[in-house]
Amino acid sequence: MTRDFTFSRRTFLDRVLTASAGVGMAAAAPWAGVAQAEPTGSDRVRLGVIGTGDRGRALIQNILKTRNCAVAAICDPYAPHLDKARALVPAGTATFTDHRAMLDARGIDAVVVATPLDLHARHSLDALDAGLHVWCEKAMARTIKDCGAMITGARSRSKVLQIGHQRLFNPTYLNALKRAKAGEIGEITQVRASWHRNRNWRRPVPPGSNLDRELNWRLYRARSAGLMTELATHQLQVANWFMDGLPTRVMGSGSIAFWKDGREVYDHVALIYDYFDGRKTIYSSLLNNARYGCEEQIQGSKGTIEPELGRIYMETPPGSVPALARMRKDVQAGRKGAIPIGGATWFPELPVTTPGDSLGWGEYDETMLQFEGFGEAVRSGKELPGLLRQAYHASVASLLGEQAMDTQQAIAWPSDLIPV
Amino acid sequence: MVGGLRAGLGDTGLSCAAIEARVERFVAMGTRIELHLFGGGDTDALAQARSAIEAVDDALTIHRPSPTTAINYCLAAGRSAPVEDPILLDALAAVAAAWAMTVGLFDPTVGGAGGETGGWPLVTFDRLAGRIEAARPLAFDFGGFGKGYALDCAADALLVGGATSAFLSAGESSIVVLGGHPLGGKWPLTIPHPFAPEETLVALELEDEALSISSTVGAGAQAPWRAPMVRPTDGAIVTAAATTVAVERSGAAAEAMSTALLVADEVAGRRLGGKVPGRRHLFLFADGSSVSRTSAGSIE
Repeated sequence: MTRDFTFSRRTFLDRVLTASAGVGMAAAAPWAGVAQAEPTGSDRVRLGVIGTGDRGRALIQNILKTRNCAVAAICDPYAPHLDKARALVPAGTATFTDHRAMLDARGIDAVVVATPLDLHARHSLDALDAGLHVWCEKAMARTIKDCGAMITGARSRSKVLQIGHQRLFNPTYLNALKRAKAGEIGEITQVRASWHRNRNWRRPVPPGSNLDRELNWRLYRARSAGLMTELATHQLQVANWFMDGLPTRVMGSGSIAFWKDGREVYDHVALIYDYFDGRKTIYSSLLNNARYGCEEQIQGSKGTIEPELGRIYMETPPGSVPALARMRKDVQAGRKGAIPIGGATWFPELPVTTPGDSLGWGEYDETMLQFEGFGEAVRSGKELPGLLRQAYHASVASLLGEQAMDTQQAIAWPSDLIPV
Repeated sequence: MVGGLRAGLGDTGLSCAAIEARVERFVAMGTRIELHLFGGGDTDALAQARSAIEAVDDALTIHRPSPTTAINYCLAAGRSAPVEDPILLDALAAVAAAWAMTVGLFDPTVGGAGGETGGWPLVTFDRLAGRIEAARPLAFDFGGFGKGYALDCAADALLVGGATSAFLSAGESSIVVLGGHPLGGKWPLTIPHPFAPEETLVALELEDEALSISSTVGAGAQAPWRAPMVRPTDGAIVTAAATTVAVERSGAAAEAMSTALLVADEVAGRRLGGKVPGRRHLFLFADGSSVSRTSAGSIE
């Protein structure tokens, strides 16, 4: 490990600690303080990674940066993915093409599930059955029922279940939440979130193969809820977090408006999540225009936070009335001039273009920190507090949004969720 | 140019030390507020004035829960409502006075099943009992009247704080001046022509007075959310291009009068001008890009 990285890690952790220490933060982000603490013990927690596609390999690279975890095994039935992952891990790391074989081989303390969404529940529950702790990519599962089953499965076996929501460990987000809790942007009544891309979301499939549904699982309804579970989940978690509550209902409209290429999931989604007391999250995601990218606009009566840009904008009063500014100068100069007043009082309400203030910081290792936190949770046998609740409700929100769009009806927040 | 300045323009030649104004700028009453204090006043006089305006905003706003929305819920449902907020009580009393002064041409009630206006005669307001009711469903929208009333409250706070010279503006169309100009004499003001802002429509001077400008033309009237002006006495939408200016002793009265003048027809406008002798009103009908006629009193 380089000295530079050690320094940046320490700085990063200090920033997490600073951001997570504030009024209301212990309740809003109880995991952050725990996760940034110095790891205990000397033996690394041995992780077996199921699924070594793009995301799985990114996770492996982050695990390798942690101070308390090691990649002890990798598993993927698709040889090209497994070969790429093998190049990242130490020589001799156990490799498998079947997850059951990896679980039966023992030699690991926990699994990391980075497989297609429809397999999350089965792979997680199989690992729990094998007596292992589980870290699973978001969204939790393809159905709300399976999300609950994963929680019940972990609870009944007294195992740790952690879901990947890296924003929960991001110092900018933590700092943004801290400043929102301090009342800097006033009462938050709306979150406007979007994830807009301009690409087809397709992965290349080897010519002549029948692997399209395996590699492009995100495009098929049996395997994924598309934009909702793969992108919106992150932002719905952020919305719930800043709203400090859960939606009461969701309305939405989805369509395949651009990529009419045989995919089954929407390439355009637009939803409204209602919260208590008239507050709202307005969400959109699409795949043929990237102008507005990925952002959550946290809108309060006194200001706006845009955490992806790392900016906070205050609702600044309009500038001085020119005639009155001149009046003051005239008086100060001993001149008594006529005051032109009563002109236009309306100005076009264009978007504010002021730069706002920085929320601080830039490049982060929040995904790495997730795993350090997970490693400590595995060692202690206790989940990082509060994380699973955030993840569960984010997954439910995304799947509920899919239902609302499919049925074209407002869907009430379920009353029979698993207590977390 | 209509009217004219009497005196006081140009360099005064005064050799007094430079006069520094204390200023508060903020957003309230749905517009931008500027309070310029030139003479006298405790250190917290401006802060007290700002607090007074914000308290009026809290009491009269219909854009968030307030004492006004509380009575509106009841009145819109055809029920009587308690009025406990002292600012709302005072404002309703001021409305009653303004309605009488303008012969019913100023009326801040809206709503009703048919979208009727002119509901104040159907309102029974018992200030002592703190109760209000109406013979048909309606609601209050204090609008510009609230701005003038808020400036009056700010001026009161400045006076209590020892201020002697101040210029208060709410959205540039509602002005209250306290005392005279810091360099002596009255405050000289010019009002731009609505079609040609670089030209002066009228010039006038103020001292311990309030000014309100209303218009169906110009940039302010083109705001996309701006509702049409409706004559409360017969429900007619005012379509004539017109600008009115009212100078009164209070901001609330000036707002009521400029609104009344705007919705009045020419005859009613003359009656209004004659009804309050000694006050200054300007009633300008605009035809195309030029002011064609002045009536109902004059700006000296």
